[in-house]
Amino acid sequence: MRDVAFGQYYPAKSFVHRVDPRTKILFLIVYITAVFLSDTFYALGVCAFLFVLIAIFSRVPFKSLLRSVKAVIFLLVFMSVLNLLLFDGGKPLYYLPRPWRWLIITDRALYNAGFLAARLLLLVLGSSLLTLTTTPVSLADAIESLLKPLKFIRFPVHELALIISIALRFIPILTDETGRIMNAQKARGADFESGNLFKRIKALLPILIPLLISAFRRADELGDAMDARCYSGSKVRTKYKKLRYGWRDLLSAIIGLALLAGVILLKIYTFAVI
Amino acid sequence: MTAIKFEKVHFSYADDEQTEEFFAEEKAFSLDGVDFSVEEGEFVAVLGHNGSGKSTLARLTNGLLSPTDGEITVFGLDAKNPKNLFEIRKQVGIVFQNPDNQTVASIVEDDVAFGPENIGVNREEIGQRISFALDSVGMSDFRHATPTRLSGGQKQRIALAGVLALKPRVMILDEATAMLDPRGRKEVMDVVLRLNREEKITVILITHFPEEAMLADRAIVMSAGRIVMEGKPADVFARETELEKYALTLPRQIRACRGLRQGGIAVEDTMDENAIADAVLAVAHGGNSVVKKVTQQDEETKTAGDGTQSTAQNPEIAEEGAVRCDHLSFVYNPKSPFETHALDNVRLEIKPGDFFGIIGHTGSGKSTFVQHLNALLKVPSAQKKYKAKKPKKGQPIPPKTVLTVNGFDLTDKKTDFKALRSKVGMVFQYPEYQLFAETVFEDVAFGLKNFNKDVKETDVETAVREALETVGLNYEQIKGRSPFELSGGQKRRVAIAGVIVTKPQILVLDEPAAGLDPLGKEEIMALLHKIHGDWCKTVIIVSHDMDEIAENCNRAAVFSEGKIVVTDTPKGLFDDVEKILSLGLDVPFTAKIAQKCREHGIEIGCDYTVSDFVQKTLEYIKTQGDVTRLTQPEGGQIDA
Repeated sequence: MRDVAFGQYYPAKSFVHRVDPRTKILFLIVYITAVFLSDTFYALGVCAFLFVLIAIFSRVPFKSLLRSVKAVIFLLVFMSVLNLLLFDGGKPLYYLPRPWRWLIITDRALYNAGFLAARLLLLVLGSSLLTLTTTPVSLADAIESLLKPLKFIRFPVHELALIISIALRFIPILTDETGRIMNAQKARGADFESGNLFKRIKALLPILIPLLISAFRRADELGDAMDARCYSGSKVRTKYKKLRYGWRDLLSAIIGLALLAGVILLKIYTFAVI
Repeated sequence: MTAIKFEKVHFSYADDEQTEEFFAEEKAFSLDGVDFSVEEGEFVAVLGHNGSGKSTLARLTNGLLSPTDGEITVFGLDAKNPKNLFEIRKQVGIVFQNPDNQTVASIVEDDVAFGPENIGVNREEIGQRISFALDSVGMSDFRHATPTRLSGGQKQRIALAGVLALKPRVMILDEATAMLDPRGRKEVMDVVLRLNREEKITVILITHFPEEAMLADRAIVMSAGRIVMEGKPADVFARETELEKYALTLPRQIRACRGLRQGGIAVEDTMDENAIADAVLAVAHGGNSVVKKVTQQDEETKTAGDGTQSTAQNPEIAEEGAVRCDHLSFVYNPKSPFETHALDNVRLEIKPGDFFGIIGHTGSGKSTFVQHLNALLKVPSAQKKYKAKKPKKGQPIPPKTVLTVNGFDLTDKKTDFKALRSKVGMVFQYPEYQLFAETVFEDVAFGLKNFNKDVKETDVETAVREALETVGLNYEQIKGRSPFELSGGQKRRVAIAGVIVTKPQILVLDEPAAGLDPLGKEEIMALLHKIHGDWCKTVIIVSHDMDEIAENCNRAAVFSEGKIVVTDTPKGLFDDVEKILSLGLDVPFTAKIAQKCREHGIEIGCDYTVSDFVQKTLEYIKTQGDVTRLTQPEGGQIDA
């Protein structure tokens, strides 16, 4: 269990992996904006084309990307069905007698459902490409760096960053520990797989309590270790690691802006046609 | 210059309510008038049983705690004044026990940078300090690694580096080696010794291991919050009766030296195997020194060890207390970038009545193997989803996996795994971390009630009482208490009671004595032998401590890279010192001495426990050595 990287990160050496994490976050924001601005399949097609291009360059296997879609497949189907049934207007595709009227699907509803599904799919794929190509640690660094302006309104940026960093650091340790405690209780005959919901929740107590106590103990010890290493959260604190932009980031920025411009142009053009 | 000075320091945890609630066991850890000073450049070892106040001493020194009474000065600074804390913490670094709980960042260099960042060092210099600190602990190659993936010894060296980056003048190690395997302990101690000798850093080493204390310039023994003994380590260990009073044990090496001296061999108390070997050799030669052939008895034990392998094919002997295993393989995360082959075609037989040892360093596959024994990990054919695959044409049919434990066939998914688990008990490393119930009684009864839903209350009570008494606890006193308010040693006993309450016929323990003080270790091993002689047919222990294996097991298997390299009696294993060392494992120090003697043509032929080693060595010298060179024994005559 120890060797499983948590999160989704897929280790590889690609162009996308090497782009500054801040650029990737900003790019994702631009991409999401573009997807939302797109109101035709043409515009979505531009976004999709760019996504496929980046996905190929990222060297992340298609399977890993698909796995992230799996998580939202229920939501996707649910939304599509609602859209198909509840959307009014447009030409019905077929007719049904009275008690079954609500089951009628119109052409506009079909178009709409398809469009929304495609949009959602692109959003999910885009975000998971970020987490697949960026380690949680550099994501945390990027968030700290991007939030820096908030210091002026006394937002505790540094503390937040430290909390995220420590949380990330302890996820694998606590995952490991959960496995160990679970095994220990299983060896004492505990059963986590059968019984009704209430029983199963109750069966979790012998895991949750030791885990909680262990987390407190660890927190206590970590606090001491941090104190002993002169942590005071004071202003004299310096920072060793600084993120730096490079040519990859410039290129990414150009591509991002081009995408945005393209989608907006398509929007104006389609308006003009109508 | 005096680095640290304590004057009549008193401390008690009683005022601290939070501590009382969560960590009540620490209540005992108070100080009661401690006078103590350390000179700059000194290496001081602090010994004492659990709860004697050793750690409190460390925490007071760099202001993590404040004394209730008395004076503490660190390089002339008053430790009670909060204004001095920052400066004192820069000068005095602490490395704690648990390597996992001292790291703040997920990348090694970021973590080492944490200290210098806190005191406002500029970027370029932080970079230099990281290089310097990682270099000092020999971890430069791991600068961009993730701590989670490192071994215990490596993690602890990173913690050392994190402290070194602050350029301290004093380094305190608060049981920093207690959770490490022998290899990791050696790694850390080598670094610490070098820092003291070459970088002139003052070292205060708090430890349970007498071997480590022997490396210091001065040793201090604490008991009940007071300093009760002080002096050169060798002198402190010379006062045997006093040590016993303070619940400390002698290092095995010293015990051997004394035993040999009693027999008339001139040897000073020393930790150095070579010195002991030389002393033995000095008297062993000269007489009618005939190279002793391997005795017939030795041959017999060896063949007995090998003979068990061939019986693995014989299905007749599947019975209570036995483990039979053949062609067992296991892969973690198959078909992913993280794929690891943990077990590779393992074959092993453990017979009823064995006290079996499993040896191997971290990642050798021993934990994976042990988890198969009570189906916490299942072979593919025992998993619910399993469907027999047709073998592909042209490919050889893979050999059938055999795994039978206590008569249960673990390759069959229809096996009653719950019944198996009640008969095959498993005690994990640091089992006290699995305690959860409100009272000790409920916690111990947990397993019993799980295995048998309709068990009668009176039966539960009898079984719990018996289990708690077996582990040496007073049932009436302890049954109603919360397991979290017990001391570390008591918690471990309660946790073991929670496993043996079902009276398993096979008991598997992963490092049962890890982290305990020497006396606690001895007690746990004695407890296991008591159970073993009673209803428990087979005991299997996973251990890093080769002395523990030599002293307790009748047979042992060595794992390396997912395979069993050798299965033999401890004597058979440690006869071949080079083979064990080549696997990156240690051997008992007695085996090293015997090896050196062997090179000079002398075969002592002991089972490598200290007492047997001393006895056989003396016997050898009396029969084949130069008796005239023996000195007069301290307490009596040598019988002719």
